[in-house]
Amino acid sequence: MSPRDTVGRLALPVTMAGWLVFMVLSLGVGDLWLNPARIWSGLWHHDELASVILYQIRLPRMLVACLIGGALASGGLVMQAYFRNSLASPGLLGVSSGGAAGAVVAIGMGWAAQSILTVPIMAIVGACVATGAVIILARSGASTERLLLAGVALNALLGAVTSYVLSNFTLTYERNAQIIFWLMGGLEDRTWEHVWIASPILLGAVLLWPLGRPMDLLSLGATEAQSLGVNVRSVRRRMLALATVLSALATAVAGTVGFVGLIVPHLLRLIVGPEHKRLVPLSLFGGATFVLACDLIGRCAGNLRLGIVTSLVGGPFFLWLLRRSSR
Amino acid sequence: MNTPAVSLRTVSVSGRLHDVSLDLGPGRLVGVIGPNGSGKSTLLQALCGLLPAAGEIAWNGRPLADIPVYDRGRQLAWVPQEARFEFGFTVRSVVAQGRYAHGDDGAGVDAALDLMDLRPLAHRPVNRLSGGERHRVLLARALATAAPIQVWDEALAALDVRHALQTLKHADRLKRAGSTVLLSLHDLRLAHCLDEVVVLSDGRLVAHGTPDDVLTESLFRDVFGVTARMAPGLTLELS
Repeated sequence: MSPRDTVGRLALPVTMAGWLVFMVLSLGVGDLWLNPARIWSGLWHHDELASVILYQIRLPRMLVACLIGGALASGGLVMQAYFRNSLASPGLLGVSSGGAAGAVVAIGMGWAAQSILTVPIMAIVGACVATGAVIILARSGASTERLLLAGVALNALLGAVTSYVLSNFTLTYERNAQIIFWLMGGLEDRTWEHVWIASPILLGAVLLWPLGRPMDLLSLGATEAQSLGVNVRSVRRRMLALATVLSALATAVAGTVGFVGLIVPHLLRLIVGPEHKRLVPLSLFGGATFVLACDLIGRCAGNLRLGIVTSLVGGPFFLWLLRRSSR
Repeated sequence: MNTPAVSLRTVSVSGRLHDVSLDLGPGRLVGVIGPNGSGKSTLLQALCGLLPAAGEIAWNGRPLADIPVYDRGRQLAWVPQEARFEFGFTVRSVVAQGRYAHGDDGAGVDAALDLMDLRPLAHRPVNRLSGGERHRVLLARALATAAPIQVWDEALAALDVRHALQTLKHADRLKRAGSTVLLSLHDLRLAHCLDEVVVLSDGRLVAHGTPDDVLTESLFRDVFGVTARMAPGLTLELS
């Protein structure tokens, strides 16, 4: 067994252990510190104050963090396999911006008030439009430069859409606040409603599981994968649909949270290698852990928004990655 | 008469290949030759079902359109001209991909690694290998498939002389076991190893037959624009 195999076998239990630790920390850290014993009592309604804090504030926030972390990281992983480029991610390619633009349009036009499903649906529509544009602009196997330029152009275009909506509704304070929330990305005031909206991410994760092996073959190229017996068209369709919906749902409940889809799969690939059978579950749990950690950092650093923390971590990481890949 | 392992009837690929009809029997080692841009890779990809093509293609008498993609993976091994790897899969895992259509059973993977001298590199990331080593990995993957139709697109071009001769030996072994091995090549000094030669020019089939029948002075002049002169020269064989 190679050293990488040994690391690969240990990676999932270690990541899951880290995930559990951060879940407990996420429930415990706040204006009122709750130790694990109080968290336990609160969860079983033996401690009324802890119970209120947990069920009304911290538990939904923690669950949304786990769901969007897993969705963004696995969405990034799928996009990297699809485009055969380790710098592809929902944020850099504009898919998250598409989701945010869709959500912002729904809020700006006042459609959000009609149904709680309007914003997620519009986020999915926006993300689909952006994904379609990326596919046209940068096909599979496209160079890093082409991919990034396509992402820059799309992000600028979709940014213009959100700015237009924002400038047209300057008088409606509440809508503006919501729009700004989406643009900055965050987990503040997340409720059980948001947990339900994001819950299809679990289904997406289940559907993603069997695609691990075909993704290995596809990441060598569509023609090679087809020669080996992969139904490329069907697998790629499923990959794209899942990556788009996962990213869109994450954006619909937490706004634009950048770099998760880039950093997490990339780091995991460096540690355990590129086999997707390992990377799919690891991305789900690793993404959840990363977002929980970033949220905790933000909460401990004077309530910094999640999107700001992930960008502060992800920006330098991305520049390092770019420098490394250009060597 | 035996059913051809590969049969093409008026196969065309828009702008690149024109009305190619061809029957290749089982247990044959076939070379596809022609100048740059003559359509060799296009022909090979079309007969593998990897390019949309007009006309009829059949494997062992069965129309390609009727063969599910997964089953094709058991019948075909394709080695691409370029060996590009974005991600650092280990050599062993790339070779093991040849068993995908066999339910990832791992059969023959170690033997294929040995055949291409890759055992010492088995745990190395494939994107850190040299061009020739990468091609050996792809050839090992093709050998691991144990597919009856082997299509190797300029697989020998990147190999050193020992590995090129070794690869031809493996191709000969596969042929004797009943496989049809197609390889495109530029080094016509290797033509004496082939059973049949298919010659393409400007996307059209201009000749098909045994090397002795096909590789004539007039063909070299008309297709390649060179003068061929038979002369004793350097001969290399595996020691």
